[in-house]
Amino acid sequence: MKISDILSTDVIEVNLDVKDKDDSLNKIIAIAAKSGKMLDLNKVTETIFEREKLVSTGVGKGFAIPHGKTDSISDTVASFIITKEPIDFDSIDGEPVRFIFLLVGKETLLNTHIKLLSRISRLMNKDEFRDKLLNAKTKEDVLKIFKDEEQNYFDI
Amino acid sequence: MLTNEYILLLISSLILISIALWKVSENLGLPSLVLFLFVGMLAGSDGLGKIGFDDISITQSIGIVSLIYILFSGGMDTRWKTVRPVVWSAVSLSTSGVILTTLVIGLAVHWLFHFKLIEGLLFGAIISSTDAAAVFSVLRAKGTKLKGKLAPLLELESGSNDPVAIILTVIFLEIIVTNQIEVGKLIFHLFSQFLIGAFLGILLGRAMVYLVNWIRFSYAGLYPVFVMAFAVLVYAVTVTVQGSGMLAVYIAGIVVGNNEFVQKRSLMRYFEGLAILGQIIMFLTFGLLAYPTQIIPVAGIGIIIALILIFVARPLGVFISLAFSEFRLREKIFVSWVGLRGAVPIILATFPLSANLSIGNDIFNIVFFVTITSALLQGWSIPIAAKLFKVSDEERTPVVPPLELNYDVKTKNQLLDFIIPYNSALSGKTLAQLNLPPESLITVICRNEEFLVPTGSSTLEEGDTILVLVNDENSADVKRILNMIKKKV
Repeated sequence: MKISDILSTDVIEVNLDVKDKDDSLNKIIAIAAKSGKMLDLNKVTETIFEREKLVSTGVGKGFAIPHGKTDSISDTVASFIITKEPIDFDSIDGEPVRFIFLLVGKETLLNTHIKLLSRISRLMNKDEFRDKLLNAKTKEDVLKIFKDEEQNYFDI
Repeated sequence: MLTNEYILLLISSLILISIALWKVSENLGLPSLVLFLFVGMLAGSDGLGKIGFDDISITQSIGIVSLIYILFSGGMDTRWKTVRPVVWSAVSLSTSGVILTTLVIGLAVHWLFHFKLIEGLLFGAIISSTDAAAVFSVLRAKGTKLKGKLAPLLELESGSNDPVAIILTVIFLEIIVTNQIEVGKLIFHLFSQFLIGAFLGILLGRAMVYLVNWIRFSYAGLYPVFVMAFAVLVYAVTVTVQGSGMLAVYIAGIVVGNNEFVQKRSLMRYFEGLAILGQIIMFLTFGLLAYPTQIIPVAGIGIIIALILIFVARPLGVFISLAFSEFRLREKIFVSWVGLRGAVPIILATFPLSANLSIGNDIFNIVFFVTITSALLQGWSIPIAAKLFKVSDEERTPVVPPLELNYDVKTKNQLLDFIIPYNSALSGKTLAQLNLPPESLITVICRNEEFLVPTGSSTLEEGDTILVLVNDENSADVKRILNMIKKKV
């Protein structure tokens, strides 16, 4: 499995208008639900907010990766949005966030979940990758950027 | 007449029983094929199951299809880099080695058991190929690893000697059936089969890699289906133009396995499973086809042939084939000892049956007996032989998947997954320097999708994903530590 395998244009948004952190989380979860893999939207929302309460997932450099594990999904769910304006995400470095990647994994697939987190964190740590995303105009652009980047990576 | 449900119930249960016995065979240090054969025989007409199965053409089809996937998967797993230094030794073993085995066994059964010379040679050809899967299953189960170039040699030999044995068997069978011998044609046939097989194997293997990369299926599930069909196509095309299909499939597997293409990892895992399934179904079918009551009467002959094979034919073939190689004496003795017989002899033994030769039944029963004897006698003793001839490496610890944890709801502990922020003060620090509160623990570090086992001196890097064991009491402290960032300059 690759990040670009879980993503599709259904679950990507660019220039998304969001008010604040909570609003962005609710919106990205709603977008992820379009994958049809969520069995219980409320459960997933609860999981994501609970995890966020523990420690913020704003990992810096304008990027946040809210994530959680729950069995209220049928398969790994992901979603990626680029916000219209940078928002305060309670990030650890205090920097505002424009890229948000949501990853919801099944409880039973911990290995895969951790590896996917590692993959996305590795991708987003690359400056040229983030620059490409910043220049992306459409969902299709975004998906292609992920696909191209992941071409040289192994399946997880 | 059996109903479909009953047949499916039967097939699925037999496969599940075989999988369950896999572990047993590992513990006993026996090649798993022996147990599969026994399950098949037990279910068969002479056993408890009383399943009357005697369809030779179905058995052959199952055997050939299974063998295609076993060889293809074997080829995919073959690292060209490691086998390249032993290519010529392996080719020598799988050509002159096979021919010598055929001659020795052929002459022996001719003199000892009143087979006609040509029938003896047919028998020799049928039994001449070895099976590395049997060898490696025992080695893996016992945690033994072979030193130096022995593992690639045995692997490559057993992949490439099947085609030679098949070619020889078909040729001898043709001579018996048509009653004509043309030595020139025979040698030409042998060479053309070999060359066409090798050529098409390389060509079609390349084509497969190119197509897989070019097609870009929108649905990942299509890749294995595509390659599955293509592997059979390689076999069929090659056989149609009079080449060795099995050689082509094996070489195509090597070409595919040593090139980069999309979905490679999942495809390889998929074919590994397919090869295992192929082995199980194939040996179960062989077991079903065999009549133990007919095999026991040939036990005497079988034992004599097995002993000649193990102690005369195989060593002779190995020593002559490897005469000019760099392998040492004790390594050659070990290679002689691990000439286990596997699936191919049994598949080939059905050829005379379907050609309606009068000695067809005898050949099948004796081959069956010799295969089991060789697997039992040589199989369990492989680890001992490896130690005795000093060809084993240090004990290898089996690789256990790094983690398979679940939340424990009864305790207040939980595992927090956390990505080290890109400008975290934690990066570059060792775990000991973090001063995490008591009863909290970093259980795993995942860096670039690789799991690392943390120790006190492990350092953290930006972007690492970690799993931290925390409980209600210490989570606030842990949170404070994890949230430390570099001071702005």
